[in-house]
Amino acid sequence: MGNRADTNAQGAAGEALAHPPLDQIEFAHASERVAAEILDYYRIAWQYEPTSFPIQWDGEGNVIAYFTPDFYLSDFDLYIELTTMSQKLVTKKNRKVRRLKELYPEVNIKVFYQKDFRALLARFGVTSEAREHADGGGFVASPDGSESGRLP
Amino acid sequence: MIPDPPLPPECSRVVATSAQIATRVAELGARLAHDGGGDTVRLVTVLRGGVFFLADLCRAMECDVRLDFMAVAQYVPGQGGAVRVTKDLDDDIEGARVVLVEDIVDTGLTVNYVLGLLNARGAASVEVCALFDKPARRIADVPLAYRGFELSDRFLVGYGLDLGGRYRNLPYVAELRDEAVYG
Repeated sequence: MGNRADTNAQGAAGEALAHPPLDQIEFAHASERVAAEILDYYRIAWQYEPTSFPIQWDGEGNVIAYFTPDFYLSDFDLYIELTTMSQKLVTKKNRKVRRLKELYPEVNIKVFYQKDFRALLARFGVTSEAREHADGGGFVASPDGSESGRLP
Repeated sequence: MIPDPPLPPECSRVVATSAQIATRVAELGARLAHDGGGDTVRLVTVLRGGVFFLADLCRAMECDVRLDFMAVAQYVPGQGGAVRVTKDLDDDIEGARVVLVEDIVDTGLTVNYVLGLLNARGAASVEVCALFDKPARRIADVPLAYRGFELSDRFLVGYGLDLGGRYRNLPYVAELRDEAVYG
């Protein structure tokens, strides 16, 4: 879990966003930073890992597992979870997301798998290279001189 | 009718033929003209992908239509900054019925941004007409008043949709193979 980073952005065109510089936020993966950059680019207010939802308890009622979505977008009342690691981890995370939806049906959450996010970047004209799990997972994005110029 | 050209090898299958697209665009054009009640409709698109849909849509509308175009700056990884208009509308839209014509709505982030700009300019109404809708990855919950096709969560090219500027000129929409997208 990274440092909590609040933003006071309104999401309106032309308004400056208010949150710590991205360099000061301890993102778990490079892809999360890319996502934060894109959200900033579109003036979307975001918080990084603002909420940990209890999803499992022991027999005495003590919380033994939490789920912490990566981003909360207040403009859309939407949590976003980026899944950039191995398939094994994806399965585990999917289970957590299902559990979250069962326990908190009022919570809106959308999961972006590595393939989803890389496809978005490709449409955006950004090439990306997946990183091995041993190297921290996720992917590295780089411009490729594409003509696209916008995210659909 | 001229048959569709063969699929490029990077594509796996056609998801909307040129005939299917033409039929749907004609339906959307007729609806837009009808809903306008005889008023002038200003069609706005964001360059470049929407041009193909815009060109066909406006010719399917039996009413007074005006066209205008916007372009937005490209996001570059690691450079920060914010989206900005690089080509603004040429015409004033105050009091006008505006329809934002989009080839595809996926995350909705671009549409959300452009809608914010258009709504701030005093138009009588601003609606979105999207030919292709991919709701699976929607982030910005933008209202689509007119929608052509709902598509699966695959990487699509053709009829304005591109990868690195390629494939826009295909007359149909096709799925691109994973290896072409991800290498």
